[in-house]
Amino acid sequence: MWTVSRSERRKLAAQTPARLLALVCLLGPFAFAAVLGLQSGVPADTLFGVWVHTSGFAVSLVVLGFAGSWGFPVIAGVLAGDLFSAEDRHGTWKTLLTRSCSRWDVFAGKVLAAAMFGAAMVAITALSSLVAGLVVAGDHPLVGLSGTLLSGGRSLALVLASWVLSLFPLLAFMSIAVLFSVATRNGIMGVLGPILVALAMQLLALVGSGTWVHTLLVASAFDDWNGLFTAHPFFGPLVLGSLVSVAWMVACLGVSWLILRRRDFAGPPVARRPGWVMPARAVVGTAVVLAALAAAGNLGPAAITASRLKAAITPTFNDLTLLQQRLLGRVVPAGAKLRILTSCNRRAGASTGPGDDWSCTLDVFIPQPGAVPFQQTPVTYDVSVKSDGCYKAEAPPSFVGQQMMRDAQGHNVVNPLFTIYGCFDTT
Amino acid sequence: MAAIRASGLVKRFDGTCAIDGVDLAVEQGEVRGLLGPNGAGKSTLLRMLLGLVRRDEGSVELFERSFDAPAAAIPDGVAGFVEEPSFYPYLSGRTNLELLAELDGGDARDQIDAVLERVMLSQRAADRVSAYSTGMRQRLGIAAALLRRPRLLLLDEPTSGLDPAGARDVRILVRELSRDGVAVLLSSHLIGEVEDACDSFTMLRRGRVVWSGTALQLRAQAPASAYALSTSDDARAIEVAKDHVGIRALPGANGSLSLKVPDGMLDPYVLALARSGVAVRRLELLVSPLELMFFSLTDDTQQDLGPGVEPSSVAT
Repeated sequence: MWTVSRSERRKLAAQTPARLLALVCLLGPFAFAAVLGLQSGVPADTLFGVWVHTSGFAVSLVVLGFAGSWGFPVIAGVLAGDLFSAEDRHGTWKTLLTRSCSRWDVFAGKVLAAAMFGAAMVAITALSSLVAGLVVAGDHPLVGLSGTLLSGGRSLALVLASWVLSLFPLLAFMSIAVLFSVATRNGIMGVLGPILVALAMQLLALVGSGTWVHTLLVASAFDDWNGLFTAHPFFGPLVLGSLVSVAWMVACLGVSWLILRRRDFAGPPVARRPGWVMPARAVVGTAVVLAALAAAGNLGPAAITASRLKAAITPTFNDLTLLQQRLLGRVVPAGAKLRILTSCNRRAGASTGPGDDWSCTLDVFIPQPGAVPFQQTPVTYDVSVKSDGCYKAEAPPSFVGQQMMRDAQGHNVVNPLFTIYGCFDTT
Repeated sequence: MAAIRASGLVKRFDGTCAIDGVDLAVEQGEVRGLLGPNGAGKSTLLRMLLGLVRRDEGSVELFERSFDAPAAAIPDGVAGFVEEPSFYPYLSGRTNLELLAELDGGDARDQIDAVLERVMLSQRAADRVSAYSTGMRQRLGIAAALLRRPRLLLLDEPTSGLDPAGARDVRILVRELSRDGVAVLLSSHLIGEVEDACDSFTMLRRGRVVWSGTALQLRAQAPASAYALSTSDDARAIEVAKDHVGIRALPGANGSLSLKVPDGMLDPYVLALARSGVAVRRLELLVSPLELMFFSLTDDTQQDLGPGVEPSSVAT
């Protein structure tokens, strides 16, 4: 197996798509950081996008977020999607299987080689995004998802941990690519298959409010590292996502091995199937499975509830308000807390499930001298909540101020309260 | 020790029996020709012996050890290829061999230069396989097989794509390996390619063995060779033929005679013609004994052995 793996790595390294992928992984983050450095705007709708000019660690996390949506499925497809179908295309199965290695050696060696290459691509992207971010924005503390400041050292450790933990769902997608490659014997299906599966999973994540189906969507596991960046880190989604990833690996690789073990390499005149029969069957089968999953989207307890959102946004608002005040040069005692009463609900239907029609009203009780001990100041945020428990809350500038503000030193900085990004535990 | 001992091999594809109860034994140092028309099952049988195709019934022993394909790797010392050898086109010939040698382990890498030299590919070893001709790929396939220091070589149409000189070199190589004790099983649908190279033959038709034996047995059982003969006096030539047991001379097409001559009787007949004052102007071998045997055993239709068949010219 190790011998085959070494041989397969050599073949992969000699192929143009793998080389191009490595180049993109190496240079892409630098290009992204260069674009950021040339403009004052920030990436929209990304958890740490607003902080990319403040801390270099945010740049790496934005790259990780994009990679989780599209980059990793592409890596999986390119590295593993043609791993087995290429032997069919070149007719080299009979060459490979008449050497001193069994079919298991060949299967395991190929999978291992692809996994090692995948890990290498992740490492290259992680390191280049970190270096690029630190060059552009420095190693300043990162504002976490609960509004607390994370020191440079802690941010670095958490960022690296997030990249490492993304290996689980990546390997799961590589297993999906292997299954496509073995079952369809078609390189195009093998490369595109995991990308289409990722797209389908992202669409399924928008449907239904139950947890059972959403838990099975291995694409969601790419974002499970978010819980590390809260004031009280939570690991439930991380553990669950990793277990789901392992389950997908076992299932896909197991089926792939069974197909390969039983296959007769009988040559074109006897046993070759028509080129598009198997791919068509795979597509139809996948569509049926996805339709069933969509229909089952409401099964299981609701992961997104008003109480969870309220419990998450309240302390985050508190911490971001105090951060804003410190940026404005005001003295804020350590451990200070605002009195906040929060209510959250959806504008239509039951107050459960992901959606962009959530609304949270935070009544802030500010102490006032005189007859009325507290002045109640309500602020209403329009909140968009995803199925993974991450949310984006936006409020009108009349209360929280503009997106950019001048700090006590006269610098233009991001107003922490303008848009609040956060996450809560859905397990 | 038998290099191959296969018994009762059966393989079905979608209900069609491609191999139907085949027994085969090849001894060490023996060169066995596996013959049959297209679709007879030659390639399928070789694939079963190489572990590329699972057998539905039967057993295979290679050097007296059961070969439990496809779970097991092909044993050391067994090598070969089926149909046209295939390699990775984006890699050079040498790199392809290096990858294969790595899979074999041992000192296979040290043999690369020697095998490239033996198949006359040293000058082109650094070129990508995508630039190779069919013949060059065939030679690279033989090189890849030789890397394994085979004691048993299974070759499917090894001279396919080679020019006559290349085909001759393959036959010489096969003979050299045989003298070194290597057992060779080679298939072909070109009878002339294997007739001189092989010690024994197995003929397949529709997945079954229709004849198996040594070359001597074949010649003893084969019908007489067929020739086309042109003389200065055809009528006299026919009369002379009647004086020789087993020889038949009949008027044929295009003004020549159709001559059937048992093995070993041609020389006496030609000398008798000369003594009778008949000059031989042209004598062409139309069909060899092996070809006659092959046609009679493997084809459903009667073969026309007249001048329409591609001759192997022996001009006199």
